[in-house]
Amino acid sequence: MSVRPLAIPQPSSPPHDRPSARRLLDLDWILLLATLMLMGYGLAMGYSITVEDRNFTGDVGQQMLRALLYGVVGASAMAVVALVDYAWLGTLAPVIFIGTLVLLAIVLVVGSSTLGATRWVTIAGFNFQPSEFAKVFMIIVLAKWFADRDVRSPFTLLGGLAILAVPVALVFRQPDLGTSLVFFGMFFGMAFVAGARLWQLTALLAAGAAALPLVWGFLKEYQKARLTAFTDPYSDPQGAGWNIIQSLIAVGSGSLTGKGLTHGTQSPLGYLPIAESDFVFSGLAEDLGFVGAVILFALYIVLLFAALSIARRSRDAFGTYIAGGVAAVFTFQIMVNVGMAVSLMPVTGIPLPFISQGGSSLISICFALGVLQAISMRASAGGQRSAG
Amino acid sequence: MIDRSERPFVRPHRLAGFALVIVGIFVVLSVRLWDLQVVNGAHYRSLSEQNRIVRVPVLPTRGVILDRGGQLLARNDPGFAVTVLPADVARARQDELASRLAPLVERGSDEIAKAIADQRIRNPYEPVKVSVKPVAREVAMLLIERAELYRGATVTAEAMRVYPDGPLYSPLLGYVGPINEAELATRKDLGYLLRDTIGKTGLEYQYERYLRGALGRREVERDASLRELRTLGLTPPKPGNDLVLTIDDRLQRILARELEQGVREDRFTQAVGIAMNPQNGEVLAMVSIPAYDNNSFVRGVSSAEMKAWNGDWRRPLVNKAIADIYPPGSTFKMVTGLTALSTGAATRNTVVNVSSSVMVVDGWRFYDWTTHGTVDFVNGFAHSSDIYFYTIGGGNPYTGQRGAGPEAIAKYGRMLGFGAPTGIDLPGESGGIMPDPDWKLATFDEPWTLGNTYHAAIGQGFVAVTPLQLLNSYAAVANGGTVYKPRLLKEVRSPDGKVVHTEPPAVARKLDVKEEHLRLIRESARRVVTIGQAYMPDAKLPIAGKTGTAEFGESKGLDAAGRNVLGFHNWFVSYVPKEDDTDPTAEIAMVILMFDSSRSLCANCFNPAVALTQKVLEEYRGVNK
Repeated sequence: MSVRPLAIPQPSSPPHDRPSARRLLDLDWILLLATLMLMGYGLAMGYSITVEDRNFTGDVGQQMLRALLYGVVGASAMAVVALVDYAWLGTLAPVIFIGTLVLLAIVLVVGSSTLGATRWVTIAGFNFQPSEFAKVFMIIVLAKWFADRDVRSPFTLLGGLAILAVPVALVFRQPDLGTSLVFFGMFFGMAFVAGARLWQLTALLAAGAAALPLVWGFLKEYQKARLTAFTDPYSDPQGAGWNIIQSLIAVGSGSLTGKGLTHGTQSPLGYLPIAESDFVFSGLAEDLGFVGAVILFALYIVLLFAALSIARRSRDAFGTYIAGGVAAVFTFQIMVNVGMAVSLMPVTGIPLPFISQGGSSLISICFALGVLQAISMRASAGGQRSAG
Repeated sequence: MIDRSERPFVRPHRLAGFALVIVGIFVVLSVRLWDLQVVNGAHYRSLSEQNRIVRVPVLPTRGVILDRGGQLLARNDPGFAVTVLPADVARARQDELASRLAPLVERGSDEIAKAIADQRIRNPYEPVKVSVKPVAREVAMLLIERAELYRGATVTAEAMRVYPDGPLYSPLLGYVGPINEAELATRKDLGYLLRDTIGKTGLEYQYERYLRGALGRREVERDASLRELRTLGLTPPKPGNDLVLTIDDRLQRILARELEQGVREDRFTQAVGIAMNPQNGEVLAMVSIPAYDNNSFVRGVSSAEMKAWNGDWRRPLVNKAIADIYPPGSTFKMVTGLTALSTGAATRNTVVNVSSSVMVVDGWRFYDWTTHGTVDFVNGFAHSSDIYFYTIGGGNPYTGQRGAGPEAIAKYGRMLGFGAPTGIDLPGESGGIMPDPDWKLATFDEPWTLGNTYHAAIGQGFVAVTPLQLLNSYAAVANGGTVYKPRLLKEVRSPDGKVVHTEPPAVARKLDVKEEHLRLIRESARRVVTIGQAYMPDAKLPIAGKTGTAEFGESKGLDAAGRNVLGFHNWFVSYVPKEDDTDPTAEIAMVILMFDSSRSLCANCFNPAVALTQKVLEEYRGVNK
């Protein structure tokens, strides 16, 4: 296979790097621990939701087995990715980019619909959500783009936006407003970490804000209703405001310590829509209360700081930007998902990392964290040994 | 320490800034969570309960109404009602739901939408009844099966009031109907709901407090699609108590049958019949014909029916036994007589020469219906001599004979219960008119004349009474001088049949008259029958009483068949002592008023109310065979 790289590889990014046992010691153990604990948290919530769900007719055990399987697949993916030198990802960036576009296009053609949106492709009985993987893939593509150029040039920034334009458009067509917004969060986070001029970023943000009325025209009616309902959910408590009100009731009724795992009433009785994904945090806050939510936040902070630390230790810009991108995407998703559950943000369907149920989200997250571990394991090598 | 110059791509300040943003976001989220969960946790917890648990009020079963023998006069049959819980209906869907329900409950969709909207303001968690009429079973099934089309609407089993005998008892029982805004406003604290039924008139209204019972509550857990998952708790409603009336269904039917037959055969156009026990004021029967079918009001009266009732000049919606007033005619001579006796204006031996059927005073002519010769008190009463009662009531300026005078007649008249409601336990009772000079001055600004006294003395002119007042006054004579408050309620029973309240006889007042005078009146009243004024062939009972002919409304002459068009209305008020003597032992008294009964009669024919009274009483006592 001959692929012409988009840019000249930099010296600090050797094309080949073989894993060795020694490098295992350079795993980011804190990141790994936080990852495993968050996966456990996610499993517990999955159990709670499944048991609570009185409309669920399937076998609870099988449902959990499926969640465990996702965990195992995710962990394996993470391990494999960690062991391979991530420099390959940079080399393959164009392929990854085109692959992502193809995946997203496939969804629009053969995808299956739920709740009016086409987001899924069914492969061998498993529902597969390409937009989740697209996020991770685009982090890699964008990191490569920034790493090979002078980020301080406005053309690099605009080029990055251009690269994102097609996948964003494809995701927006599904329609999945939330995920398309994630791409912008990713872009700004990565550009910021990469050192783009702040005035340029500000100008872009201002331009985006100015273009909002334009975007508004492209929105579906229900999306508009959700966005406006956020400002005053009680203006239509049975309609667009319903989700928000029910979510607030769920969160608030959890009080300090919660009603206890599996003892919540809002999601099992169907008051919380999409309780396993978009509104999963509301159910968590209802079951486990303020304490449970703060524990989750603490785990997230540990994970995000570990990612930033890896960004700092990375041997090359590519690794730093990937780590920054992963942190940006996670932060953005958490902010929007939790913010939505507590009515600080409008309702958009974005999964909460680890907690929202679904194989695609978990496996893509594991993939991303595997890349971070790969960066971590090669950090010192890149930083100091190459100098020696 | 990593050499910065070799690693230009790492920008520690940016990473630190990033870390700060992360911390900031989590701080904001945590503060928001603290506010929601810890500060306002209790509020949201109660909201989540309210979400999940609805307290559905359960309406109590209304008490039934029985006659004194246990015959059901008002009962409850199973029926269906459609209610809407506003909390379950999105504002935007309200009109759509209303228009879907409209044909099913036979109401205008805007009415239904308004009912839902109004209830949303009042209390969105309390269902509002949108069906006025009971809903057919097929409609109920449709609503249940296609529930997704009618989200927010619920079919509830609802007892439906049934009056098995309709018009026979409607003047007494009245009817129930959906509560209205005004009624709800005054009774909200008593546990009434917007979808409640309430007694609108008659005994249903009068004894609402006994019949109603108390609301129960059912706590239901529901999911978001409003399916009821399970009942968490049930506070059963307290069923209403049953009313046992003083009415004797058997007598009511005999009386109504005879009166209805008369109307049907066009012997008279309307009729009132009341029977009571003079010893305690218990009303044994009360018939007002024509009446209306009170079941129509429960089912939702149609405008055609309402138009027919309102268009009937006989006013079937009015209980004429208590609500309308009429001149008592000669039946009032009892009052004049008792007054004359008590004031000394007359004694048993006071005689008046009635050799002419006209008496001329100051140029005015006062007629008697015939010449009677010289009559004493008993015969004056028995033959119903008008001139005799003109004389003892108003005196005769030419012979110098003293009369009782209008003030005295009014005084004893009021003592006997005229001029004020009797206080029967029914709404809408009229008080009648017991005129005296002051009354005339106040009402017409004219002085009282001797002619007014004469007219009052024979129950014409200004005097106006309800049939019940008249009956009650004769009952007081029959029982030896006690005026009772007539009543229809005998006792109140709990649903398990235990008597929880017994209505005691209520004495309105004692007559301030001598027993011998009452005895003389009773002797005279018996004589009315025995001498044939009230002709009772082959009489089996010692019935005593007094006939009366009320003239009100203009006589319109004769119709093509030679009958009087609107003319006399015949009264007969009577009682039956145990033996054929003058002792105050009567346990039944009855009044009958026939409207336009002269239409098929000659002017001097026998009063048809007499024969009817005889027939009814004899059949009731079982002595007619």
